Amino acid sequence: MSIDPNWAWQPYRPDAKNPWDLTKAGHLYRRAGFSANSAELDAALADGPEKVIGKLLGGGAGQEAFDQQMADLAASLDYNNEAELRAWWLFRILQTPHPLQERLTLFWHNHFATSNAKVRNPRYMFGQNQLLRRNALGSFRTMLAEISKDPAMMIWLDTSLNKKGTANENYSRELMELFSLGIGHYTEQDVREGARAFTGWEIKGDKFSFNAAQHDDGSKKFLGQEGKIGGEDIVRICLEQDAAAYFIVGKLFRFLVSETLTPSRELLDSLATHFRQSDYNLRELVETMLRSNLFFSPAVYRTQVKSPVDFAVGIVRALEGHVGAIPLADALEGLGQRLLSPPSVKGWPGGTVWINSTTLLLRHNLALNLTSTQDNRFGRRTDPAELARKRGKQTDEEIVAFFVRLFLQDDISPEGRANLLDYLAGARKQKYPAYWSDQDQQDHRVRAVCHLLLTQADFQLN
Amino acid sequence: MQNRRTFLANSLTTAGVVACGQTAPLFLSRTAAAAPATNRPGAKETVLVVVQLTGGNDGLNTVVPFADDGYPKLRKALRIPTKDLKKVNDSVGLHPSLAGFAELLEDHALAIVQGVGYPNPNESHFRSMDIWQAASLAEELNEGWLGKALVRIPASPAFHVAAPNEQSWLALTGAPSKVPSITSLQEFQLQTLAASGVDHDRQRKLIELDAVRRSPSSDTSSSDTSSSESSGRASLLDFVRHTAVNTYANSQRLHELAKNYQPAVPYPNSGLASRLKLIAQLIEADLGARIFYITLNGFDTHANQSAIHANLLRELSDAATAFFKDMSARGHRDRVLLMTFSEFGRRAKENQSQGTDHGSAAPMFLVGGRVRPGVIGAHPSLSDLVMDKLKHHTDFRQVYAAVLEQWLGIASKPVLDGQFQPVQILRS
Repeated sequence: MSIDPNWAWQPYRPDAKNPWDLTKAGHLYRRAGFSANSAELDAALADGPEKVIGKLLGGGAGQEAFDQQMADLAASLDYNNEAELRAWWLFRILQTPHPLQERLTLFWHNHFATSNAKVRNPRYMFGQNQLLRRNALGSFRTMLAEISKDPAMMIWLDTSLNKKGTANENYSRELMELFSLGIGHYTEQDVREGARAFTGWEIKGDKFSFNAAQHDDGSKKFLGQEGKIGGEDIVRICLEQDAAAYFIVGKLFRFLVSETLTPSRELLDSLATHFRQSDYNLRELVETMLRSNLFFSPAVYRTQVKSPVDFAVGIVRALEGHVGAIPLADALEGLGQRLLSPPSVKGWPGGTVWINSTTLLLRHNLALNLTSTQDNRFGRRTDPAELARKRGKQTDEEIVAFFVRLFLQDDISPEGRANLLDYLAGARKQKYPAYWSDQDQQDHRVRAVCHLLLTQADFQLN
Repeated sequence: MQNRRTFLANSLTTAGVVACGQTAPLFLSRTAAAAPATNRPGAKETVLVVVQLTGGNDGLNTVVPFADDGYPKLRKALRIPTKDLKKVNDSVGLHPSLAGFAELLEDHALAIVQGVGYPNPNESHFRSMDIWQAASLAEELNEGWLGKALVRIPASPAFHVAAPNEQSWLALTGAPSKVPSITSLQEFQLQTLAASGVDHDRQRKLIELDAVRRSPSSDTSSSDTSSSESSGRASLLDFVRHTAVNTYANSQRLHELAKNYQPAVPYPNSGLASRLKLIAQLIEADLGARIFYITLNGFDTHANQSAIHANLLRELSDAATAFFKDMSARGHRDRVLLMTFSEFGRRAKENQSQGTDHGSAAPMFLVGGRVRPGVIGAHPSLSDLVMDKLKHHTDFRQVYAAVLEQWLGIASKPVLDGQFQPVQILRS
């Protein structure tokens, strides 16, 4: 199937044949956030795509206060215990008024995949996390320049071990292969010359420091340029390559638009050109993607697999709930995503790799434990029954309608819907423990039917 | 395979599920491909059970060199009389608690690799345990040998069967998917919020129903543009549903097993035995898991070693023997290999507290239908000691190399960061 690049990136304008609707709103919130709750879905329908995307890009109200709260919390963490920093980030993801920023921070964490298993310094990992967040909707040029001097990265890829005469090539290679250009757009010689340029880059007093005595300041040849090239020049020269824009655009395409569609170079041309001409403005790139015809087309709808964070956080946020970040972080590790510890510098492969018979079972059981109100780890504050009561949903029809709308935006077969109603009807007739009140029985049915929805195959897809 | 078909028919209630579209047949054909080929070591469905003896097992009193007159000089209070030993050959005998192992030896199902250790042995529990678990002497150890092995057999689940509150171990770190630590089969079954058994069944059937749906090209009644299924979505849905069919079948199988499992021999009443029984059920459940990890704690016997060590060895021997007999009776004799290790042995000479301090070289046991039975390698010298510790002659990574290559069919060099000459632990 070939996609017309001109059509693809034009802004989507709703019309009678292609109206703005619930499924599009849900799709948008899953890609640009961590799923929508029912109020957000209602508002999105009323506001229309242009306005909603604007809000998602800019973030909701209360950001300053939230950032301050997060900063205070960060200052109080025990930085000897990595688990606290992980929980801090997860708490942030759960509560943030700016979910797009957090989701992109996760993307960049996966892109500049740095693991505390080697860095062993949660304070440095925090610094890197803030760096990624700060630049997520900013400039990729700034991001790349800053990450090269980030202490966590410098330990992770041995920049701090790189000295004149004994160059360590690790950072130079990954900078080009994984962070900016991709394989095939540089040579082994470039890797070696790049390594020379980064010599003398050290960490002193927990910050980047340049040690001129350890720096090889001889002339170097790098990606076709020659001269007394230093580390900062390396970053600049990488960004002068055509390949850089395509590389980043391609990765963001996979993350925001589709995991199953492999975009042709032609399809990415206009995006890459503009990305470069805008001096690597990430916000503009993300905005173009989110606003586009292609983004809202069936070709890319539900063509990603939810990461463990997408999956679990999506459930909690949709239900307007609260869970402990520490137990949730542990559970996410079981699902394969231990924040701050990607499996390698290539990050988490994502996609169908998230799903196997072990992780799928764990996902189903986690969905249950988050919403059952019976799991000590997760407590009672993500309760579908309470939400249903709050919204006045009482009859079986109302309940099924509400949760199908919330979790699947009504994208369910008539048969699927009928099965759920059938379950509820049967459940009303079954035997309950003698001491359960009518409300207990009703609440139980609501939680059960919610779990049945969360185990559907479609719910695993983003 | 017969059993799986039965389970599939019984547990999935959709009419004609076996005959339906792509999903079910693929599941069944995967089963066929996975039928165990038990004649070749290193063949696909072999299973490794690693038993960690935590604390530093006193090898010298486990496999006793009774014919060496150095032994009574080193061990006075802790000396085990020759008449009490289970003789293996003319030079070594097993601690009396190891009656089960002696029986396995008779059955050609026990191998004892002597003198296992590593260069510049470290006496810290944590450092030495990390070395054994990472299979590396590097300063920074972040990944386990089994985790790295699992990267090479990514389709195989693995399990850490844990005692309550037991930590997770470095050995399993680095696997493509975190290895679950489970304490019961329940954790590995599909859970529902059910008011009764009947309710559970109704819910389970509904959940399974979703898994056998085909992806029609247009699944809803709303307009084409917003929700018709792209091929991308359809392929992802099929993938999730295939996985789901396996998941639910596994869960159901575990459920049946947990209800009906009749061990072929009674398992002793110990923690290790109940964990090994869990492993037996997981193996019998045919989940495709090839690596199991389990630990027995308490071997750090600095004082009053006699009774403690005797009890621990009895727990180990009785549990492992029951496990092996159970597995054999179920046809898994030749595809299961159990391997014990400890982070170090203990000091050759006993201390003043009727105990022993940290040592180095020690024996490893291997239990299985395919082992090369008997003693492998000489007992370390009792006179040529290094800082009062027994000298190793076999690097533990040589044993790992054999297990990786000949048992699991995985190249050992990338896992061990080097080429180690495999010990011949298996019958050819």
